[in-house]
Amino acid sequence: MPFRQINSKMVEATVTPGAKIFSQRGAMLAYRGDVSFTPNLQGGQGGLASMIGRRVAGEAAPLMTVEVHQGPHGRAGTPTGTVLFGHGGHHIQVIELSGDTLYVEADRLLAFDGTLQQGTMFMGSQGGVMGMVRGQVTGQGLFTTTLKGHGAVAVMAHGGVIEVPITPQRPVHVDPQAYVAHHGDVRNKLSTALGWRDMVGRGSGEAFQLELSGSGTVYVQASEEKL
Amino acid sequence: MATFRLQGSRVLAVDMTGDAVKAKNGSMVAYDGQMAFKKMSGGGEGIRGMVTRRVTGEQMTVMEVKGHGTCWFADRATEINLVELRGEKLYVEAGNLLCTDAGLRTGTSFTGLRGATQGNGLFTTTVEGTGQAAIVSDGPAVVLRVSRQYPLTVDPGAYIAHQGDVRQSFQSGVTFRTFMGEGGGEAFQIRFEGDGLVYVQPSERTTIAGDV
Repeated sequence: MPFRQINSKMVEATVTPGAKIFSQRGAMLAYRGDVSFTPNLQGGQGGLASMIGRRVAGEAAPLMTVEVHQGPHGRAGTPTGTVLFGHGGHHIQVIELSGDTLYVEADRLLAFDGTLQQGTMFMGSQGGVMGMVRGQVTGQGLFTTTLKGHGAVAVMAHGGVIEVPITPQRPVHVDPQAYVAHHGDVRNKLSTALGWRDMVGRGSGEAFQLELSGSGTVYVQASEEKL
Repeated sequence: MATFRLQGSRVLAVDMTGDAVKAKNGSMVAYDGQMAFKKMSGGGEGIRGMVTRRVTGEQMTVMEVKGHGTCWFADRATEINLVELRGEKLYVEAGNLLCTDAGLRTGTSFTGLRGATQGNGLFTTTVEGTGQAAIVSDGPAVVLRVSRQYPLTVDPGAYIAHQGDVRQSFQSGVTFRTFMGEGGGEAFQIRFEGDGLVYVQPSERTTIAGDV
């Protein structure tokens, strides 16, 4: 796996020749080896069509491609590089994917394996109207980024992150501001605990929750602040 | 009784089986099972508590969380400390109180001049009874023992809570130099004497004392 956690706010990625890592632009802290960083105009993979899709969706985080060059002595002399990533002093959580899909907001993505398939998903397609309201409530927009395949993803959070398992018997409710990412076979919808008391301004401060049901994992940060 | 456990140092998980806890408004980050959230007001129960709250300004908005399952709480990524109370009283700044067992009584107490220098008002919150409480601190807190032979002096901005049979007095190191603008930046302290525990955080809130 290419990501090694150095401490809670730094990860080290190993880059081998021929392999790619995508990272948020400006997230490199240090590197060793013959590593190159090129701004990724297409904002990931999937070509032009997918880029336009992401632009429209507002999920086009500026990315860069991280690669190592072939060494001067051909394959025998090709080095591997190591790169340290971190950003803004945020907590970093490494999530391993084994064929399933990770749902995460683009601005929380720090770096990910180049083999992962990137896409966007319209939140309204899950949970109907409440799915669309979700974006408004959380301030996250109507689209979210998806990453699919086998590989690792490093995501950022404010404060530490806990993993909460979702099982068919036990749906999990998450504060929209504390939600970081989720993966697995999960449906999400916005639920409200609004009663007449909340309408007259006596709310407990927990009016909206994101309800995740199915089976998978949701990542929750120890804070209700955005990045 | 609800079970309190730390998941990492910044997330509190409370397992409930039909019982209830009191928590800072809006501090829930996730839950599974069935939970109901109801707003309450701090400063003690009943009419007397309400009057005290009005007078003291020690207002904290508290919610009651009741249900079956696990509820996770966190507050601005601050560190969480668990305190076990066995009939004693815990004194804590309202802003630092994250969650308590519903069986614990909360109230307010007069702190004297100390509160004024902290910018927190003249009153502090008390938690009394048997059960668990969770307090937050900016950075991991240390628990310092106060005994008859060893009194303790604490920076008002770093103080978060104390428990036990402790007397607190206010100390001022204000001298002529302070007024000349050559003070050491440590003009006020709180001195604890007696027998108990004091929770101190590795960070200093901005207090009036810090400016002197």
